[in-house]
Amino acid sequence: MKRIGFPILLIAMAIYCSGPLLWQCITSLKPESELTRIPPIFPGDPTVNHYISIFEGYPFMRIILNSAIVSSATTLLSLVLGCLSAFGLSKLRVRHKAFILGFVLSVSMFPAIATVSPLHIIIRGLGLRDTWWALILTYTTFSLPLSIWILTNYFQQIPDEICLSARIDGCSPFQTFCRIMLPLSAPGIFTTAILVFIFSWNEFLFALTFTSTPASRTIPVAIALFPGLHEVPWGDIAAASVLVTLPLIFLVLTFQRRIIEGLTAGAVKG
Amino acid sequence: MVHTITAAVLLLCSLLPACTGAEKNIAGSTVLVFKHGKIAGDPHLLRQLLDRFESENPGIKVRDETLPASTDEQHQFYVINLEGKSSDFDVLSMDVIWVPEFARAGWLRDLSHLLSGDERTDFFPGPIGAVTFKDRTFAIPWYIDAGLLYYRKDLLQKYGFPPPETWQELVRTAHSITGKETGLYGFIWQGKQYEGLVCNALEYFWSNGGDVFRDGDIALTRPENIQALRFMRDLIGTYKITPPLVTTAIEETTRHIFGNGRALFMRNWPYAWNIFEREDSTVKGKVGVSPLPSFGGKMSAATLGGWQLGVNRYSKNPEAAEVLITFLTSRESQKFSALTIGYKPARKSLYRDKELREKQPFIASLFDVFMSARSRPVSPYYMMMSQILQPELSAAVSGIKTPEEALRSADEQIGHIMRGINE
Amino acid sequence: MNKTESGNWFVIPALILLSLVTVYPVLYVFSLSLQRRLLIFDISRFAGLDNYLFLLRDERFWNALKNTVYFSAVSVSLELILGFSIAMLLHRSFRFRGIFRGIVLVPWAVPTVVSARMWEWMYNTDFGILNHILGVKINWLGSPVWALYAAVFMDVWKTTPFVAILLTAGLQVIPQDLYQAAKVDGASGWAVFRRITLPLLKPVILIVLLFRTLDAFRVFDAVYVLTGGGPANTTETLSIYAYKVLFQTLQFGYGATLSVVVFLCVGSISVVCIKLLRRGIR
Repeated sequence: MKRIGFPILLIAMAIYCSGPLLWQCITSLKPESELTRIPPIFPGDPTVNHYISIFEGYPFMRIILNSAIVSSATTLLSLVLGCLSAFGLSKLRVRHKAFILGFVLSVSMFPAIATVSPLHIIIRGLGLRDTWWALILTYTTFSLPLSIWILTNYFQQIPDEICLSARIDGCSPFQTFCRIMLPLSAPGIFTTAILVFIFSWNEFLFALTFTSTPASRTIPVAIALFPGLHEVPWGDIAAASVLVTLPLIFLVLTFQRRIIEGLTAGAVKG
Repeated sequence: MVHTITAAVLLLCSLLPACTGAEKNIAGSTVLVFKHGKIAGDPHLLRQLLDRFESENPGIKVRDETLPASTDEQHQFYVINLEGKSSDFDVLSMDVIWVPEFARAGWLRDLSHLLSGDERTDFFPGPIGAVTFKDRTFAIPWYIDAGLLYYRKDLLQKYGFPPPETWQELVRTAHSITGKETGLYGFIWQGKQYEGLVCNALEYFWSNGGDVFRDGDIALTRPENIQALRFMRDLIGTYKITPPLVTTAIEETTRHIFGNGRALFMRNWPYAWNIFEREDSTVKGKVGVSPLPSFGGKMSAATLGGWQLGVNRYSKNPEAAEVLITFLTSRESQKFSALTIGYKPARKSLYRDKELREKQPFIASLFDVFMSARSRPVSPYYMMMSQILQPELSAAVSGIKTPEEALRSADEQIGHIMRGINE
Repeated sequence: MNKTESGNWFVIPALILLSLVTVYPVLYVFSLSLQRRLLIFDISRFAGLDNYLFLLRDERFWNALKNTVYFSAVSVSLELILGFSIAMLLHRSFRFRGIFRGIVLVPWAVPTVVSARMWEWMYNTDFGILNHILGVKINWLGSPVWALYAAVFMDVWKTTPFVAILLTAGLQVIPQDLYQAAKVDGASGWAVFRRITLPLLKPVILIVLLFRTLDAFRVFDAVYVLTGGGPANTTETLSIYAYKVLFQTLQFGYGATLSVVVFLCVGSISVVCIKLLRRGIR
């Protein structure tokens, strides 16, 4: 019984998670006239028109590039600042540690809609309107709480003795950080990286407010620009969603291996 | 590891010079930024119009930037930017209900000098009223919209019914036909909790002789209004010609259902017509359009919609912006927009234009509807009123509250605001 | 655990960025909340605690608070249970585990607005796939009874991967020899779970609980696109109400007040969470 139970659960989980996206896939291949009809569930006359139309007459490639750059830079910056802070908080002496963690957490406590106006003023004041940096700075700031908390927790789980022995061997704290901590916490780092990347990739409100042209516009805003005042091109939206999610899935699958590799190494040491 | 970090930091630094935003001046000419919602249809058509403007006005370049289609998001964008005194755009396209609000907040430039007496009368009275605040004009009407009744003329003909002129007729016709045809909803409209619901509800109130105000006082609890609201609820609950799904429906939802041939009557804006007449439409040639019905003996009423062009008070190029607006709202431009994009002109004279009537016969029949279209309360506080009305109307339509309760509650809340104004 | 080196320099970069970017907005919001600022009434004056007093009497606020609390509680509970189950499922070593881990992340990877539109599409009474499969004609998004649940379910679908991936990472760090030792001692599966897995996972559970609750309490995009707060405000959360007050009615002062209240609520919940779970850590 248990033998069959496990695969069944797995498949159920897979359907639950990917079902809606698969449905989007199917929708994206349906011709316009079939979109709002059920049956048929499967397109009687599959077409790639929707995919073509999202690239036609719209600089979608540039949009994808913007998203890729903003998300990568955010992830990098967030990880760098997050790892540094986490190391300081977990392995070294920092006064008011609880206060700092609380302050960091409180950054995430305001509803985004409240902070968008004043932030917009800052961004404009700095002349960063419609640039990548406006988004990178904002996203890094708002992803830092998650990064710092996850990474601090992760670093805490790595035994102090390892760091102490490195210090005894003559490493400076920074060297300990680079040579010992980072490799050991690969799973935590990659987990954080995925979460931060996805957060930046999909963020909408700030992207909408801080960008005004395809020069810096990101994917979620571009998708929001698809619908006409009354016409909602479901097919195009479906195609765009499929296109936009695939890179993320690809990224995740690639990182998955690293996580497993890092894990086996960690488990042996642990 | 250190190498990786250094590389990463260098990479980040290389992004610094990237993308510092577009230039405001291309070699001496003025660059105007025109912000508008997504154009229904081909965006190149608007660009053509703007190119024509640029060739007629050397020295001015126009950059048009689209905003998301959702009117909420457009409103939010304008609020954030105008409150922050941004000069990032010069000309903006506004929904008819925003103009008094933006004018009162001091975000729009006074454009009264752009509309001489003759020009004013060429526009429909409804939009002109909506863009006038304290006797000054703050926007020029660009294109107009009003609620219409769509019906399946093939089915009405088949069963020998004329297009209904009263709501009771509509109910009877719908009952009769849906009894004989399967898979058909009687009457669909927009009942989701949003601005469109207010548009729909007002049409019932007005066509029963009711209104939001009477003699300057809030009068939502008038019997005419209560009756009308009860009728809306009855469409779903008692007569059952409207399916409950109407409480999640917006324009597009109903357009899809009707366009698939699954409904007999629909209330919607004129845009749907162009879509129904497309080649691959299931209902091509089967759709008729008429003014909305009324309650026996009273006047039919349609809610006024449409978009207006204004100038950002903080714009650095107000004169050039005014030239652009004059161009876009001129006869020629509005005719071009009507023929290509399908925007219904806000100028009355165009409805007598031969070419337009030939190419789009549908347009002639809209003239009367647009003339008699009524505005939602033209007031800076309209958005507040709408935010109070929406949930109450939604509660009544979903059957959570009785019409009396809903309207009484709305009346109280709006009355509270009105008192706050006069304090 | 002798920590003699100062870690200040490691923490300072992040703190600088956070302070620079958030200090002005936070002060701005707090100060606005004390003002009565209605440009359309031409009012812009200091009003002290008036806004807060009004809030206490505001029925719509209490309705939004109730919806938000309900939404968060149900959402987060379901996510924890589901996320945990998925994490346990993926804990075992088996072929294709990597691929399944990738699949699990799909809902999280889809942009929120896209996901909301997708679900709006699926919940459609007329041609939605959900009604088609179930063979019913339920008015999911238009029924005062079902709408909030529909929103909850969509949110659970979307954010369970977040829980799952963090719990997975947490599970993997638990040293294998602890399990070996337990096996040798003849401990049952449940005992192992209670005595070894759960306690060691407490820190991760805390993080998950904290951040999920923070996000659920502040939920805006997903619900707004799905239902707009309707029908009849039955799905109007605090953020949606604040949004409407701020951007639809231009009541900047009161909108800021609502935001501050959200901040205070979320802050209190965080403090409670941390206190509750801190006993399990160290």
